[in-house]
Amino acid sequence: MSDQTARNESHPLDSIFYPKSVAVLGVTPTPETVPNDIFRNILTSGYTGVLYPVAPFKRSIYAVKAYRYVLDIPDEVDQAVIVYPSNVCHKAVEQCGQKGVKSIIMISAGFREVGPEGAKRETGVKEICDACGMKLIGPNCLGVINTDPISMLNASFARKMPARGRIAFLSQSGALCTAVLDYALGKGIGFSKFVSFGNKAGVTEIDLMRYLHKDPQTDVILVYLEELRDGRGLVEAAREITRGPGAKPILLIKSGRTVQGADAAASHTGSLAGEDVISDAVLKEAGIIRVDTIDKLFNSAIMMTYQPPPRGRRLAIVTNAGGPGVMATDAAVNMGLEIPRFDDETTGRLKSALPAAANIKNPVDVIGDARADRYSAALQAVLDDDNVDQALVILTPQSMTDIEAIAECVVAGHKKTDKPLACSFMGGRDVQVGINILQAARIPHYILPEWACSALIDSNTFNEWKNSPAPEFKPLDVDAAAARAVMDSAPGGYMREDQCLDVLRAYGFPVPRYKLCTSADDAAAFADELRCPVVLRVVSPDIIHKFDVKGVALDLDGSDAVRGAWNDMMTHIAEVMPQARIIGAIVRGMIPPGREIILGAKRDSVFGPTVMFGLGGLFVEVFKDVTFALAPVTAQRAASMVRGVKAYEILTGARGTASADVGGIEECLRRLGQLVSDHPRIGELDINPLLVGSADTGNLVADVRIRLAP
Amino acid sequence: MATVEDRVKAVTGRTLNIDPGEIQAEHSFTFDLGAESVQSVELVAMFEEEFGIEMDEDAALSVETVGSACEFIARVCAEQGVAVDLE
Repeated sequence: MSDQTARNESHPLDSIFYPKSVAVLGVTPTPETVPNDIFRNILTSGYTGVLYPVAPFKRSIYAVKAYRYVLDIPDEVDQAVIVYPSNVCHKAVEQCGQKGVKSIIMISAGFREVGPEGAKRETGVKEICDACGMKLIGPNCLGVINTDPISMLNASFARKMPARGRIAFLSQSGALCTAVLDYALGKGIGFSKFVSFGNKAGVTEIDLMRYLHKDPQTDVILVYLEELRDGRGLVEAAREITRGPGAKPILLIKSGRTVQGADAAASHTGSLAGEDVISDAVLKEAGIIRVDTIDKLFNSAIMMTYQPPPRGRRLAIVTNAGGPGVMATDAAVNMGLEIPRFDDETTGRLKSALPAAANIKNPVDVIGDARADRYSAALQAVLDDDNVDQALVILTPQSMTDIEAIAECVVAGHKKTDKPLACSFMGGRDVQVGINILQAARIPHYILPEWACSALIDSNTFNEWKNSPAPEFKPLDVDAAAARAVMDSAPGGYMREDQCLDVLRAYGFPVPRYKLCTSADDAAAFADELRCPVVLRVVSPDIIHKFDVKGVALDLDGSDAVRGAWNDMMTHIAEVMPQARIIGAIVRGMIPPGREIILGAKRDSVFGPTVMFGLGGLFVEVFKDVTFALAPVTAQRAASMVRGVKAYEILTGARGTASADVGGIEECLRRLGQLVSDHPRIGELDINPLLVGSADTGNLVADVRIRLAP
Repeated sequence: MATVEDRVKAVTGRTLNIDPGEIQAEHSFTFDLGAESVQSVELVAMFEEEFGIEMDEDAALSVETVGSACEFIARVCAEQGVAVDLE
């Protein structure tokens, strides 16, 4: 598909990136002010459309005839860039609506980020935009840049127009945009589209990501987010973008990882950040590569933009320095790359081309005195090897190292292969000449070999993800109507234990045989029926913590013991909590001791229903060794959740213990995901613990709590 | 004696280089008259000088229209005992 063909297929957001005419509202003639800089940037960046300044009582701005209002412009206006103070922006937007403007970039600050009054203003502006069908970027943003020669629009107050490239950058922070533009300029990195979307009152990061998925100018999408509002929407969009034909990688920085960072992000954007641990798990589940730093963002982006996708994880390393070669090997293996053995032919070629002291195994050490001929022969040999999927060239500057010639030979080797290549010319001033040659040839260069490995593993991860089939959710056989009937009969808040067990039973969980008894005789009779030691648990809508009121009696053997325990329990509760309404008590068999796990579900404000898995006790409380997933949970995801905890080996028979019923745990996770997806009233659900048995004995729910919305 | 509105329009016209006859009470200083942020600060200073009063700058800068400015200035004049013609 040619670029021009793609542009002919109109998209609702085209008016943001490809407007035929732009009016800047609120321009002033004073240089080095935001309105003036924006107007000058559009004027001088090579914009291919028509530009109008709207500046009351000014004859012209930079010799371009000015208009008092946008309504005074005699021609059609596709896009309005608004830089008025926030208290009058609604007037400008109203006029834009009357004029038939298609998109608005609202640079102005003073909206949601400053408090309730600003939020009200923002809502007002958005309502006008929605009513008039105008797409809104911002407010409180830096603006939009499109380097496509068809448009060449720099509707921002960035200092410079970036170079053209195939990376798109979306940022919630305008200030970060200017830093990134400067950073990229220094690294020779270009952009296809560059958007600061600020408060995202109208167009969101999700809309922009979907647009960029179809943008023929963009290969890689980078996103900086401070605040996730529609986590599920982001996940759905990312799953579509990162898989299948035309898949593109999404690399994302989501700030607010720490509690302090979340607070800063909240005060910055005017809203709370999502729970980071859930974000982490869910973004990964959507095929998004989450990174922590700008360096890593671009390290991986240039690898994916400049280099072909790797066929596998096998990495060959060619180095003139043993130490960095070993460090790179360690880093590669730790990150998940493989260091393969070379085949016999490669080994022969290396042996004949390198001195006897060289290491001809992977990592190949061409030794400190190597010049370009050794690098060339070694690189060519390893790239020709079928056991190698990608290569990393490491160089340290020795006195005889001909850096320029080695860089040239790497470029020549790169031209002869379809395998990805990365370089690390370690050092600073001396190696710069080589780095320049590599960068000009679009061979990714990293100051540290570890950075190169990290970029390579991200590229591998994305490639594996995009080619993997999308897991399909297959519903399990459950009685949703029965569960709903139980919940319909319950008020908001924590459900009674018998109701919780009824719900779980309807969804096929392994619950023990139980009965809600209403008298001592009833309880004694059921205990006889069970023919095993039983537990008695009081049921009352007023008692949450049963043990505190001696509302639990354990290991009762025989009907007399049950009767005695019943009477003691009810007498004690009547004394300590006379107002408690007693429904009765649950009688069930004692559950044999076993390994404890916790299964949880929570309706997250950002991501909707989510499911959690962890081993019980210390593993959850101290080590926070838990995994999360979006509900509903596929069979594949359930398996990866269970295997994702650090303590997984405890379930597989570590130190001579019997192997647990892992399949049963996975099935419980799927049932739990289905339950919280089917019933939006469930706010929280904890099965704590689920007692894990062997594959023969199975698992058993020992305790459960469900909190319902009103 | 000129009214508060006449004097506000005159000062505004002088500061923004606009014919006072084109200025109306409902006009916004920024949206309709094109005042830049630095000119808004200058306007506050010029009003203080014109009326012999002192205004809280944040409050004064939050005034949006010419009519609101007249009301704001009249109120400050009354608080500070400065006689003005309100008609």
